[in-house]
Amino acid sequence: MADRVIIGKRSKWWNEETRLAYLLLFPAVFVLVAFMFYPIVYVFLMSFFNADKLGRLRAFSGLKNYRTLLATKEFWKVTGRSIIWTAVGVFSKTIFGLVIALLLNVEYRGRKFSRMLFIVPWASAVPISAMLWMWVYNPEFGLLNYTLEVTGLWKNPPIWLGKPISAFVACMWVDIWIGIPFMALVFLAGMQSIPSERYESAYIDGVNSVQKFFYITIPGIGELLMIATLLSSLWTFNDFNVIYILTRGGPANSTNILITSVYQYGFEWLKFNTASVMAVVTFLILSVVSIIYAGIYFKREGE
Amino acid sequence: MKKLNKLVLIALLLSFLPGFLFAKGQQEKPKVTFYWALYDGLTEDFRANLQNAFMKANPDIKLDIVPVPWKNMHDKITTSLAGGNPPEISVIGTRWLLELMGLNAVDEVTPYVSKATLDNIAPGAMEAKIKGKLMGLPVAAGARIMAINTSITTKVPMTMEELEKDAMAVNDPPKVYGLIMPGKKHTELTDFAYYLLAAGGYFFDINSDGSYGKCAVNSPAGVKALTFMNKLANVDKVVQKGYLSMDRMGSHPVFYAGKAAYVFIGAWVESAMKQANAKFKVKYAQIPPFAGNKSTPLIITDSIAIFKDAKYKKEAGKFLDFFYQDKWKAKFDELVGFPPVTISASKLPQFQSPLYKALGVAALNARGWPLMEGWAEYSDIIWDANQKVFLGQMTPKAALDEAAAKIDKARGM
Repeated sequence: MADRVIIGKRSKWWNEETRLAYLLLFPAVFVLVAFMFYPIVYVFLMSFFNADKLGRLRAFSGLKNYRTLLATKEFWKVTGRSIIWTAVGVFSKTIFGLVIALLLNVEYRGRKFSRMLFIVPWASAVPISAMLWMWVYNPEFGLLNYTLEVTGLWKNPPIWLGKPISAFVACMWVDIWIGIPFMALVFLAGMQSIPSERYESAYIDGVNSVQKFFYITIPGIGELLMIATLLSSLWTFNDFNVIYILTRGGPANSTNILITSVYQYGFEWLKFNTASVMAVVTFLILSVVSIIYAGIYFKREGE
Repeated sequence: MKKLNKLVLIALLLSFLPGFLFAKGQQEKPKVTFYWALYDGLTEDFRANLQNAFMKANPDIKLDIVPVPWKNMHDKITTSLAGGNPPEISVIGTRWLLELMGLNAVDEVTPYVSKATLDNIAPGAMEAKIKGKLMGLPVAAGARIMAINTSITTKVPMTMEELEKDAMAVNDPPKVYGLIMPGKKHTELTDFAYYLLAAGGYFFDINSDGSYGKCAVNSPAGVKALTFMNKLANVDKVVQKGYLSMDRMGSHPVFYAGKAAYVFIGAWVESAMKQANAKFKVKYAQIPPFAGNKSTPLIITDSIAIFKDAKYKKEAGKFLDFFYQDKWKAKFDELVGFPPVTISASKLPQFQSPLYKALGVAALNARGWPLMEGWAEYSDIIWDANQKVFLGQMTPKAALDEAAAKIDKARGM
């Protein structure tokens, strides 16, 4: 009997079918381990060591790197800014995405063309979009200020990337502009999967459009809304390109977020200890957000 | 069962095959990778022609000239070193040499380059000679000068105070600006350096043994320089609109567009203006000192370094011999506008113009960047101090005191 159990266990993990599964999984697992887990583990290790200017581990330093960084005011400023950047960015992308998805979900001539147009910001490479906006914001030759001045909408428009608040808002807008199409497309897919009978019976019951939106559409896309906002939070928190290209964290560090600081400390100043601690903090913040989301998602799924 | 085992074996072999093939390919033909800084004025045609010509002359060597924007060069080199995959050679700021030497990343140039090439380089350009060893081949050495748009003014200010007056006299924004001043952080700290040197200051105290002492940006000269820059930008308002959002690459085109009277600039001015199709005439002069000080322009030198862990250093040396012939190096100098570093090229007629004469005079009294490890960080700290003053967040004295304290702390002083 005992032999049978052992044989049964062995065959469960190692039989013809599982071997094929292992074989097919091997390339993906290999790539994940090599390019994802190894760097993550190395960064964790580095945060507890003294590293040289090429990031090679030299001597164990315990929590010293953490204590040093957490004691600096600049770190907390940057972390707070990253949270504001993410919260406002994701909220705006969600609202704009919902509005656009609703518009694209309505039957009208040219709907396909509109859908195609809305995907352009997402389809172009982020650095190219950021560079395009850098020229749009240019105070001397830029399209935005020129348009505002010529149309009389704003006689003396701000130097968008030259002042702390306007630079932060300008960077955030570019991040939002790039992120809206993804949200809109996901929401649109969700809206199209809601059976039309629900809307028809709601119509017969005399439900108005606002009620339809809150009682049929939103619950209908609830799961997608969760997943899309989670993904968007992770991407927005880690959005390096937009800030690096538009302002390089300036003026006077006023647009630096955690991910740009990691780059600045690591690759510009070669201070890998500080950079690795910042990277670990980023990882932890995003992990907490993901766990909270997953908890809510699975709880709802269980219900 | 056997079939499946075979399948696993074949799959494993196939997954490693590209690696074997790649390795075999590399053995067959050495590949020299060269990180090529995209200086203003340099064209893609020139890069491609140089690459093709070398490979035609040396069919047994593959050459990959990788264009890298100058502002990304330091990061590109760092990441490639951290990844254990350095290029054979790269253009570097000579001021990065100590840092690279500290990482044991660069090799001495002399064993790889021919004596004829080395003998043809002006001894004064050999800034990368450290403790008797040549750690980089000079590729560009140029002092900074002042260019004047003669369709706006012909006045040549002899002091900073005169420059302020002359700039105010012609300033008529947004049509004409008195002076160009980048206010957005970029790789170099050039603008603060122009004014600091003009006030007789420097970034660090120099000890009696020639080593660097404490940070001196908060000296009276430093405070005077930053106060003056802030006055030009925020009181006189003679600099281009939106200077705080414009780095060098963004602000110089305003001069090329004929909208500014004065700009402190490098030797690339003529080729950049040609590319921008600028029609106005330009006069060259020295960057003026503050009254009572002597003219001290900034000089910047860049070098080509050979990386210690690169595979094909001998072949890289062969390429350098090829590149430093007048046919290629003089053309390179002409395109980027730097005065030649080779003796033979400096005698060519194209390098006898007023621009090169002005550059020659500037080089006589010029000072370079500090050659020290960590300069990238210190330069950023000083930039931040500049911007805090421009934004009205701090006074010049307070901002520079803070910057100097941060730098001294970072250097363990």
